[in-house]
Amino acid sequence: QQTISGTVYDSDGAPLPGASVVVKGTTTGTQTDFDGNYSISAASDATLVFSYVGFATQEVAVNGQTTIDVTLAEAENQLSEVVVTGYSTQTRGDITGSISSVDVSEATKAPIVNAAEALQGRVTGVTVVNNGNPGAAPKINIRGFGTSNNTNPLYIIDGVQTDNPSVLNSINPNDIAQFNVLKDGAAAIYGARASNGVVIITTKSGGYNMSKPVISVDLYTGFSQATNIPELLNAQQHGDMLFQSAANDGVAAFSHPQYGSGANAVVPTTLNGYTRVVSYNPIVRGPASASVTPGGTDWLDAILDTAPTQSGSISIQNGNETGKYLMSASFLNRDGIQRTTGFKQGITRLNSEFKLNEYITIGEHLSASFSNTVNGNQVNGALRSSPLIPVFDDEGRFAGTGGAGGLGNARSPVAQLERGADNFNKLFRVFGDVYLSAKIFDGFTAKTTISGNIESFDSRSFQALDPEHGEPLGTNTLTEQSINNYNWTWTNTVNYNKTFGDHSINALAGIEAVKEGSKGNSISVDGFLFETPDFYLLENGTGTPNVGFAFDGSNSLFSIFGTANYSYQGKYFATVTVRNDKSSRFLGDNQSQTFPSFSAGWLLSDEDFFPSDGFLNRAKIKASWGELGNQTLPANNPTVNISALSLNLANYAINGSTIATGAILRDVGNPNLKWETSVTTNVGFELGMLDNKLSLEFEYFNIETDDLITRDFSLISSTAIDASAPFVNLGTVKNTGFDLALGFNDQSDSGFAYGISANISAYKNEVTELISDFQTGASFRPGTLTRTEVGRPISSFYGLNITGFDANGRFTYEDLNGDNTINAEDRQFIGSPHPDFTFGLNLNASYKGFDISAFFNGSQGNDIYNYEKIFTDFPTFVNGNRSVRVLDSWTPTNTNAILPALSLGGTGETAPSTYFVEDGSFIRLRNLQIGYTLPSNVTDKIGMDNLRVYVQGSNLFTITDYEGFDPEIITNDNLTLGVDSNIFPQARIITLGVNLKL
Amino acid sequence: VGALSDEAVQNEAGVDLLLIGAYSTLDGRRNNGAGNGFAQTGDNWWLDVLTDDAHKGSTDDDQADLFEMERINWDASNPYILGRWSSIFAGINRSNAVIALINTIEGADLTGKLAEARFLRGHFNFELQRMYGNVPYISDENYANTEFNQPNPGPIWDQIEADFQFAIDNLPDSQADVGRPSSWTAKAYQGKVHLQQSEWDQASTLFTDVINNGPYALNGEFFDNFSAGGENSAESVFAIQFTADAAQSPNGNIGGVLNFPNPGPFGSCCGFYQPSQDLVNAFQTEDGTGLPLLDTFNQTDVFNDYNTDSFEPAPDPLPDDYVPVPTPYTPHTGPLDPRLDYTVGRRGINYNGYGRHVGQAWIRATAADISGPYLPSKNVYRSGEEGTNQGTGAWGQQHSGINYNIIRYADVLLMAAEAAVEKSSPDLAAALDYVNQVRNRAKNMTYVETTDADGNVINTPNYQIEPYPAFADQAFARKAVRHERRLELGMEGHRLFDLRRWGNAVATMNAFYINEARTITEGNYSTKFNTFEAKHDLLPIPVDAIDLSGGVLNQNTGF
Repeated sequence: QQTISGTVYDSDGAPLPGASVVVKGTTTGTQTDFDGNYSISAASDATLVFSYVGFATQEVAVNGQTTIDVTLAEAENQLSEVVVTGYSTQTRGDITGSISSVDVSEATKAPIVNAAEALQGRVTGVTVVNNGNPGAAPKINIRGFGTSNNTNPLYIIDGVQTDNPSVLNSINPNDIAQFNVLKDGAAAIYGARASNGVVIITTKSGGYNMSKPVISVDLYTGFSQATNIPELLNAQQHGDMLFQSAANDGVAAFSHPQYGSGANAVVPTTLNGYTRVVSYNPIVRGPASASVTPGGTDWLDAILDTAPTQSGSISIQNGNETGKYLMSASFLNRDGIQRTTGFKQGITRLNSEFKLNEYITIGEHLSASFSNTVNGNQVNGALRSSPLIPVFDDEGRFAGTGGAGGLGNARSPVAQLERGADNFNKLFRVFGDVYLSAKIFDGFTAKTTISGNIESFDSRSFQALDPEHGEPLGTNTLTEQSINNYNWTWTNTVNYNKTFGDHSINALAGIEAVKEGSKGNSISVDGFLFETPDFYLLENGTGTPNVGFAFDGSNSLFSIFGTANYSYQGKYFATVTVRNDKSSRFLGDNQSQTFPSFSAGWLLSDEDFFPSDGFLNRAKIKASWGELGNQTLPANNPTVNISALSLNLANYAINGSTIATGAILRDVGNPNLKWETSVTTNVGFELGMLDNKLSLEFEYFNIETDDLITRDFSLISSTAIDASAPFVNLGTVKNTGFDLALGFNDQSDSGFAYGISANISAYKNEVTELISDFQTGASFRPGTLTRTEVGRPISSFYGLNITGFDANGRFTYEDLNGDNTINAEDRQFIGSPHPDFTFGLNLNASYKGFDISAFFNGSQGNDIYNYEKIFTDFPTFVNGNRSVRVLDSWTPTNTNAILPALSLGGTGETAPSTYFVEDGSFIRLRNLQIGYTLPSNVTDKIGMDNLRVYVQGSNLFTITDYEGFDPEIITNDNLTLGVDSNIFPQARIITLGVNLKL
Repeated sequence: VGALSDEAVQNEAGVDLLLIGAYSTLDGRRNNGAGNGFAQTGDNWWLDVLTDDAHKGSTDDDQADLFEMERINWDASNPYILGRWSSIFAGINRSNAVIALINTIEGADLTGKLAEARFLRGHFNFELQRMYGNVPYISDENYANTEFNQPNPGPIWDQIEADFQFAIDNLPDSQADVGRPSSWTAKAYQGKVHLQQSEWDQASTLFTDVINNGPYALNGEFFDNFSAGGENSAESVFAIQFTADAAQSPNGNIGGVLNFPNPGPFGSCCGFYQPSQDLVNAFQTEDGTGLPLLDTFNQTDVFNDYNTDSFEPAPDPLPDDYVPVPTPYTPHTGPLDPRLDYTVGRRGINYNGYGRHVGQAWIRATAADISGPYLPSKNVYRSGEEGTNQGTGAWGQQHSGINYNIIRYADVLLMAAEAAVEKSSPDLAAALDYVNQVRNRAKNMTYVETTDADGNVINTPNYQIEPYPAFADQAFARKAVRHERRLELGMEGHRLFDLRRWGNAVATMNAFYINEARTITEGNYSTKFNTFEAKHDLLPIPVDAIDLSGGVLNQNTGF
């Protein structure tokens, strides 16, 4: 035996306090002190194992040395990485549940706005659909659709708990240390809020005893632009289309107010009969002139813009013996690809921790952010606008439909966007926690954490006058909204962590209280004399104020929980978790429920019989079972009926002149409501091959969600009172599937390093029980498009099956019931929005100072209901524009067409049918980045530790047969999945950036 | 916080609040809007569009779903069909909410309130019944047990009659609030319910009682029924109390917001609900006798300005003080019933007091559309009453405050006349008396006068109207009564149900499509219409309703 001492550093050269040093194969171990120093006794031929949260474990042979200094590298999915699993931590290799981690440094290479974008395609079993509208939260879904209600996972950001994905806008991606996803029974520690999975984010917090502050600066600038823009008709094609439609309808001597009454459409040089409002109250129109743009206006081009984006971020980390901190500040500007839209945000964060003495540590995480979003989505308006209307009239004012005929009635999409430029949606958010932890005695730690999240939302929307429009507004209106949300959580835990010989125990027990509240209102006033932002105050309107809504509500949760991890000889692992939650949202016996989970693992490769020199280095099998709950609802009191006064809907002038106050039943309650419970089973294995260069992880899962919560629109059906339908326990949905992740990393002697990681996830969704025969999704112009029924996946498309064309070029449909009439009874299931599988592929390589990474993701086998086609392919708005697809409409000489014969309207062919169902499969190059890191001898001279420059492209190309704007469809109602309706398309983003470390 | 629980409303104050909430659905507006918002209207304007009284108005592609309804291309998924259906059920169940609540309150005599709620439920169920035919009945017990998916095996007339009978028995003879029904209101309505079922004797008894003993009378001025000044007068039996209050007027007639000239004399929108040539023709009278041309009115057309510009082309360049010069136009010179110009706006005639109608410049529809050259009048505010009736705010300016009369006394008289003609022992003398009361009021009212800027009367139409000297026989009396309903009540949302009651919709409508094409010559009018068939005597049950019921509801025959 000899004594070995030394210091453990991180890759920045800062000492690592609290790092674990263990003599391999023994239970002898110690931790580094405040200065990163350690001292341990070991045999001269022993091997020391160094490990620390978030860092790769390193083994060093003693070989008779007495001083061993070690620099630990930040872990990249290494087995020995210490993973934050909620209230406690676990070493990755010991995990028996399904926990995936995001490679944060790789994922944050793309210029992301919302940290959840980092999950996209990088974590098995997690589906992320981005919203192209900058600042809007993406939709996240873990392992299929187990709920028809809210699929948002629970987010744990340091100590803060929330299921509001917008909070991830308020995190600077550069501050993230770890990003882990609990997908199975492992999430049971979060009980009633865990059934959609739990995403745990920990932020960086500096290190004790650092030799100097580490300053990181990250900057990028670039631009976004629209891609895959649908092609619309030009003016002549548009006119020809109308004339052909009239001819097909048998209209002799067709006359169009703009295209004339000759044999063929003639594009006018100026709009015929164009007028605009010249005075208000009463509205008087006067003649005006607007010249038609040669070829017609391309309205999509008119609303789309190349949009700049910039971001800057700085962080400083430092620490001495008794304290450490991280301070960061960042700014982001992301203009939207539609004119005037965009998102701006500033965030600052301070994380710090102090050791009061040997036993007590206190610390905090605090983030404050401010953002402003300018919304607007005029894609639909651009599709509906006639190409004859110019953007501006001859006097340079916005042009519109005016009083002229034959131009439809769409409001100018450009004017709508430009007039909304001074609108805002400001969000001020502060969140964070303070904690105190105390080592009570050997192995026992107690911790108390109080966390909170406060959001203050303030929006202004000014509806300006639109004198160029054919249906002009009589007055302008200012609407202001203010909403305040808060939540707090108080968590108290005791942790016991001890190793006795071959036995190792890590146990935790805790109690927790959560409260969430929200209060808000909306007020509008009309009659503003001036349309300048200086004047936009509610008191400056001449009209009477109108309260649009007002609400105030809260809910709470009280929980007791415990978990114990046990391992024997580092080969056999078992975990038991139990949590009891009591929720204010439910009544009586339904208020409280206990959620248990069990898991076990066996590290096969550590057994003596396992060949140690084979192709396979590591093999582990694992299994888990657990019950998880979902109590998240967009209602605070879903169990009771709520009546409300309503100016708009309940009041009535019963005496003929003055308004009497009335009330209506607004929400139907369900006293029997109880939580959704998901029973999840997960089995899997992990393999390491070729000296662990090649890794494979496979997991099979079966999740059965009972008592699915959703609003029951069949209970409060069309023959019911006009109240919001109650939340009910609708039935049972089963998701089975698998997640497969493959990784290969290698480095040649010459310094060429490369890696491939790929993942595939698949789920099969089936509704196995339902309280009604079926449930329909949201209603659109031609009615509902989706239907949920036992034996089928949730939200399947439902409509008529097109069989071809008849002799007049009209669609023919399958006569399902053979009654020779085509009607609603001939509808059938015509597609599913659920993919066969989704995948991600990450390729990266580096050589000398150069690095390159490419990231693809995609989806295979899902259908999309392209609802936009009712506007672009059919005469829903006769004078609106159409897709160039209509050029391939049926004629007697073109019977093999894609569209039926053109018509001026009323063919009924926009009814839900197979025409609108398209294959939504795609593969997309989500991110490509090429970087160069300057050699250290250069950076040293300029006083920097590190300097890297890069050029980056997002969404560079997409391979898809889908004909809409974007195959990534965000739908927020889970009974209406996969319907493409007026989405804000995603942008291609090109940026140039620099990462500096001082 | 701030919301009313079931316990909080379980008292008399709660009953009052929910009862006002039930009255509030008379205007058709509902929470959680379903279907087309304009179809959710209490005044049944768009049901006139399905008849020979009115066109949808505006251009064909504007509210294309209603265009499909007008041209008898009815699809059960049309959002107009769902819109009215869902707004009626909101009313039925808000009434049920009051009835169910009263059943749970002890120690207070709420019979009067109960009678009001049952009257309202009767009204909504009557609307439902006569529109959709085979309808489900949702009782207050169904309501209390949340059993809203009930089958629709057939008509629910018995339940409707029971509600009105309860109202007759339990409502007071008069009410302090003009918006509440009295027992007389209920009797008149019960008569209307019997009439719609061709139960003439029962209808006649009730109407006779109302006429002889009730508090109602005809207004001296016909137009008072459509003006702020005449609201809740002696002629108003039951009305939707629209009010154009401040702040975008949520209690105005939002369902009728499209039905104003575009742009018209006061810059309104959107050019919908245009009267037909057929309706205008019906106002022709025989020169000398002043009697309607019962059989021949559609053989000649009242002259109009279809496809005529309002003004001469403007000079180029435009002088600063340019005043548009009207094109030459002489309105129809043949004899006309004076009620025409309070029902229809036509070129050259004073339009609701705003001065001479300029013609096409106030019409949004073009010659290529199916809508014709006329403007609606009864639902449009009269000059000088904008302050009272016109709403405020963006798109609120047309939330009109003009009451809609669900039943007015002239209607009672004409329904009584119809029952008198048809009942088991016809009373043609009574029918003649009732019809002539209505005609005499029209004869003696103030006629529309068109003046120029200096106040000189111009364009005096050739108004001729006289009472009938006699009804020669039952067939003539029937014809006269039916025609009088159209003249008196045209553009008031009754026509569709009159045609259904008379069983002549197929013949009337198919003839109408042909006749109308005579004057609307440019838009290939006749090619746009499907054939009106017997099945069109009922609206289809909305597909969404069938789907949401889980298939409990069955579709009407033929759809």
